[in-house]
Amino acid sequence: MTGKTAVGRALLDAFVDGELSPEDAAQVVIHLADHPDDQAYVDNLMSANEYLAQSFGAPLHEPVPAALRARIMGRSEPATVIPFRRRPIGWVVALAAAVTGVAVLTLQPVPGERLSVGPVADSGMIETALNTLASGVPQEIGRATDLMILATLPVADGFCREIEVIDRTAERLELGLACKRQDDGWIVEAVLSEPLSASASDGFAPAGGTELLGLQPFLDRAGAGAALQPAAEAMLMADGWNP
Amino acid sequence: MTERFRYDLVALVPKLRRFAFSLAGNRQDADDLVQAACEKALRNMGQFREGTRMDSWMYRIVQTLWIDDRRRAKVRGAQVDPGDAHLSDGGKSASLPESRMMLAQARAAMADLPEPQRAVLSLVAIEGLSYKETADVLEIPIGTVMSRLSRARETLMPRLGFAKGPRQ
Repeated sequence: MTGKTAVGRALLDAFVDGELSPEDAAQVVIHLADHPDDQAYVDNLMSANEYLAQSFGAPLHEPVPAALRARIMGRSEPATVIPFRRRPIGWVVALAAAVTGVAVLTLQPVPGERLSVGPVADSGMIETALNTLASGVPQEIGRATDLMILATLPVADGFCREIEVIDRTAERLELGLACKRQDDGWIVEAVLSEPLSASASDGFAPAGGTELLGLQPFLDRAGAGAALQPAAEAMLMADGWNP
Repeated sequence: MTERFRYDLVALVPKLRRFAFSLAGNRQDADDLVQAACEKALRNMGQFREGTRMDSWMYRIVQTLWIDDRRRAKVRGAQVDPGDAHLSDGGKSASLPESRMMLAQARAAMADLPEPQRAVLSLVAIEGLSYKETADVLEIPIGTVMSRLSRARETLMPRLGFAKGPRQ
């Protein structure tokens, strides 16, 4: 192997791949000093290995995908992973300015009915909206209140819907999470309320804004998945919310 | 063991994604492969012997699933995503255009290798496994590892602009 004796390619491969004992590796090093062709081959082989490692190395510089991490750790995928739901831009601003021409239907307000934690009143406007209103469609309720469902999210034993109510008289924006589990009716599990100006002050309503983040702990606890696509949501409504 | 196993598996994910990327040739299929492999590993957690190398165990699962998937799909040649083929590692290791081109060529050349050679080359040249470890992962004799490696390099080197081998 030493001196002018040619060595096989397999041996040089093994040298580059770190397969040789320290003694044999040392012999190859001595050999390479006298054999520039072999030295060039070894250099090329090392370069090729380096190119290969770099070519496919991108995943090493990326964090482990959250969904995969959650799966491995045996936790439900947090709903934040796929933030599909987004409020149409301008919805809050437009309503704050009392421009309500976008409303398609008008629900009859029920005196005293508000978005509050607990079972939703039978046949009220909120129940009707939860049962029949597609996500992202603004709904006028009376003259000073508007409502929109932001998203429908599957949970382990049913579905939850994010519902937003804008009361222009009180200048409040309320965001609630209503869930329907198995054969029960809709139950509002959480409500967040803030001054309307807080959401509209920037001139637009951020998709998935701070209010939505406020619901996150409730969604996580419910094990909510990604928001349903319109077609899936429409099928659920047609089937009376029976999956 | 369960919690430790899960943490160790998460820590391995970047390397598994790299290995899967080198086999599948595109990121989407690679990530699907890694997810399937992790799920299989979790189902078979009880079969993993503590004290043995989890990376070798996982490489084997990834490779086996990949081969199964390829058999089912009966697709020839890796599906190289054009975007992936020209995607560097985010500029972390290749800032020169020639380098980026070389990386793209390396990916394309890898995709053209027969699958058994690709797996061996990936485990040895990219993942840094020894011939013996590679033989164990792929459950083939060590001599087969060496011959596949040699043939893979014979094809790959000219594609990267290098000579095939030393003058004998």
